[in-house]
Amino acid sequence: MARNWMDYKTDAWVQWCPACGNFGILTALQRALAELDLPNEKVSIVSGIGCSSRIPYYIKTSNVHTLHGRPIPVAQGIKLANPDQVVIVASGDGDLLGIGAGHFVAIGRRNIDIKVILHDNAVYGLTKGQAAPTLPLWFKTKALGQPNIQSAVNPLLLAFASGYTFIARAYAYHIDQLKEMIEAAIRHKGTSLIDVLQPCPTYNDIMTKEWYEKRIYYLDKEDPSWNPNIEKPEDVKKIPKIVEKMMEWEPRIPLGVFYRNTMVEPLDVRIEKIMPGYLQNPPARRSIDIGGRALTNPFVAFKDRIVTT
Amino acid sequence: MSENVDLDVMIGGPQGGGIESSGQMALRVFMIKGYDVFGIREYHSDIIGAHSYYNVRVKAQKPRSVRLPVDALLALDAETIFTHYNDLAPESYLIYGTESLNTRIDGIAPMDHDTKERVKEDLKQKGVEPVASEVVKYLASTGVKTVGLPFKDLLKVTAERLKTTVVSVSKTVNTMSITALAAMLGIDLGAVEKSIQLYFAGRKGIVDSNVEAARTTYEYIKDNYGVSKPLPDGPHRNKVRMIATGNDIVAMAKIVGGVTLETYYPITPSQDEAFYMETHRVFDLDEEASRSLGQSKTGTLVLQAEDELAALNMAIGGALAGARVATTTSGPGLSLMNEAISFAVITETPVVISVWMRTGPSTGIATRQGQQDLLHAMFAGHGEALPKIVLASGDHLEAYYDTIKALNWAEKFQVPVIHLLDKYMAASMMSFDMEDVDPYKVPLERGKLVPNPDPKTYKRYELTDDGISPRAPLGTVQYIVSSLEHNEYGVVTEDPVIREKMSLKRLKKMETIEREIPESEKAVLYGDPDSRITIVSWGSTKGPILDAMGSLAKEGLRLRFLQIKTFLPFPTSTVKKIIESSDDVIAVENNAFGQMVMAVRMFTGLNINKRIAKLNSRSLMEQEIYNGVKKALSMKEGLVVVSDGA
Ligand SMILES: Cc1ncc(C[n+]2csc(CCOP(=O)(O)OP(=O)(O)O)c2C)c(N)n1
Ligand code: SF4
Ligand SMILES: [Mg+2]
Repeated sequence: MARNWMDYKTDAWVQWCPACGNFGILTALQRALAELDLPNEKVSIVSGIGCSSRIPYYIKTSNVHTLHGRPIPVAQGIKLANPDQVVIVASGDGDLLGIGAGHFVAIGRRNIDIKVILHDNAVYGLTKGQAAPTLPLWFKTKALGQPNIQSAVNPLLLAFASGYTFIARAYAYHIDQLKEMIEAAIRHKGTSLIDVLQPCPTYNDIMTKEWYEKRIYYLDKEDPSWNPNIEKPEDVKKIPKIVEKMMEWEPRIPLGVFYRNTMVEPLDVRIEKIMPGYLQNPPARRSIDIGGRALTNPFVAFKDRIVTT
Repeated sequence: MSENVDLDVMIGGPQGGGIESSGQMALRVFMIKGYDVFGIREYHSDIIGAHSYYNVRVKAQKPRSVRLPVDALLALDAETIFTHYNDLAPESYLIYGTESLNTRIDGIAPMDHDTKERVKEDLKQKGVEPVASEVVKYLASTGVKTVGLPFKDLLKVTAERLKTTVVSVSKTVNTMSITALAAMLGIDLGAVEKSIQLYFAGRKGIVDSNVEAARTTYEYIKDNYGVSKPLPDGPHRNKVRMIATGNDIVAMAKIVGGVTLETYYPITPSQDEAFYMETHRVFDLDEEASRSLGQSKTGTLVLQAEDELAALNMAIGGALAGARVATTTSGPGLSLMNEAISFAVITETPVVISVWMRTGPSTGIATRQGQQDLLHAMFAGHGEALPKIVLASGDHLEAYYDTIKALNWAEKFQVPVIHLLDKYMAASMMSFDMEDVDPYKVPLERGKLVPNPDPKTYKRYELTDDGISPRAPLGTVQYIVSSLEHNEYGVVTEDPVIREKMSLKRLKKMETIEREIPESEKAVLYGDPDSRITIVSWGSTKGPILDAMGSLAKEGLRLRFLQIKTFLPFPTSTVKKIIESSDDVIAVENNAFGQMVMAVRMFTGLNINKRIAKLNSRSLMEQEIYNGVKKALSMKEGLVVVSDGA
């Protein structure tokens, strides 16, 4: 029997403010997992620290709530050790683009098959509303002591420059569309970003529901010929258009899948090339001993250090 | 009699100028002659040109340290002569290239300004002009046998014999120097040729030109200096042996010990460990494993992370998924890993962190020796990051077995293990035999790892009598892992009763660790157990201490030496018993503040009031302990700073 989204619900009380955009992300994620009928223990949702990072308690899968900024490394450790696990990072914009920005970049270089869901509320919700790296210059949301004098980073361009092979933007209140994007990301084999515009009614009093809904539109609705797929060498001709769309922000904010490149080898394929047998016997599963006995001897395995006297 | 052979040979030259290959070849020449060797490399953090040297000790049975003065100095450039002319024993050999003779000290650009001034002052007092030829003359006048090699002529002859150009054989000058040394020490040309074949294995052109260079040089020495008394064969001829650095041997132990995922961010002096694992990521299984697994090879995945934050957090992720994991770093990287160590503690995740200490604070002197991260390791991690294990190895072979034990302990107790090693071990090489690295001696244990848990009853953080819960890999059963305080299921909680229970669980686990790791693994006593003079130390000072104790015993001064191996758990009762039954206790450490002494005081309430410290960032040598102990014994209390090494 196929799974239902209720199968991914836990009985924990959801600790978010009323109308928080995180609710939409939670529901969309549960529905996407149900749609793909993934066994609960075979999915790991890995988060950092922040309001959004409490999501692992609300989805009944094998999750890890890590440190502030470190969900991406922990997620990669899981995936490297067990390539069969479906690994999703769900974390805040401060977590992923501030304290954890180095990892956000490095994961792209690997094209490891991990989906990054960026809860983009442009503020630090949990620490009471400071500016996140996605808050635009000069915005003064209500908890700030002074206007924001630092410019916003563009998560899509950063992901593109870093080598992510699936890049999308969604809106937290549009659950159906977000669910579809999550499913598409999980189906894509490679590092994926979904930047989810997530209203924070408590601290972001500028980028509200009304503010977003005046600006957002879907790439494929506006232009039915929109095709983000890079599947063959000629498709790179699409890239200037894709980048142009990634840069668009005011007065209109495009949503949808911007980029899906299936020509870049994912990390597990690369590893298999330099270490044959990896996929069949990955680090989490390969035997390390036979009843406590080591599998090799230095004089068998490390002949380059032998000196015959 | 080979038992009486005890040689120390130094090879110095510009970094990148073949010092490494010269040292490696020298080590092999002596091994081929049947000796045990211990070699250590001192090098500059600059990549190229700066002065670097190899010190090689040769004995019939396991030398553990190097010493000054040396019995031979092989100077590949003038800077070596200026840096080490005070390090030569009477009757020793100085082998140098005649081209360096005209060099004045002021003309040596890479030489440190302060060093130059100090050398000039010293030479002035000796009445020697600061030009290499004068220093050589001075040395000859003190009884040093000086051997000048006319490299240009020797290269020309070599090239003629090979019917090739001088340029194409110009890289053989290191081999020429080693050959001259061998000839002077009475080592046969055959041993040199064999070591060339071993070291340059498979590169026929290089082997041929080096062999020809060796022959040319050997003849030159014979013609000009006669034939030396032959060096007797050592006891280890006709054997299959190994030579490896500390970095290599820890890498070997990780692979043998079942690490399936190692992460790292490059930092001296740890990076060569990861490099060795990378080159051996696919390795041959022994016969029994091949038969039983039906395959001849398997692999260990090694990944270079973007920083140490990622390195440790990735390793933790791998461990959560069920892999046996490790990472490697040095002090600065350990700083960055602190938060994740705390994360490993609360999530009860097994991970081994090899920490190759170097000179601090801050970036300090990146390629030099230090033991300054002991308290850092013990206190690593915020918010009472306990239980964890801090283990320090004393030499290569200990480091091999300790690595395997550390991997076992990490999984058995579900804790991070910080394995302290240092630059001294990383950059030193020693010879050993198959039985010295027995892979089956320490059985691999994975503790309460449950591959197939019952989803209905499974509790990852179940409260148990020993504080250790069943560990199921992520992916086998649905549960949550949290960096926040959690209940038995891993679910976040702020409930005061559960919080208290979890604190007590961690405390209980530390007690289990203390109980289950035998006292013999925590501290080891060497020397005369009844002596009332005790050296207390930890880590790589072991070699120089044991070698010096041998020399002191010959003079009738019998000591005992307590090596502390684990600082968490601390061998409180042993340390107490030994200190209380001593009249004199001397602590030896490569740090200024006496970090081990502080730890001893913290756990036992006892003080150690005599200390020997080496602070100049160079490797501790046998004679420094020998002299330092004598000095410490003559004092009521205080600090003896030993300062040898250039
Ligand atoms: C090392 C460290 N520094 C600071 C904090 C405090 N802290 C917790 S959450 C957070 C910011 C969260 O913002 P974001 O990642 O955007 O998540 P949100 O709450 O907005 O979902 C900060 C700074 C921490 N937990 N750890
Ligand atoms: S503070 Fe903002 S992000 Fe956090 S739960 Fe409340 S609304 Fe959501
Ligand atoms: Mg945020």
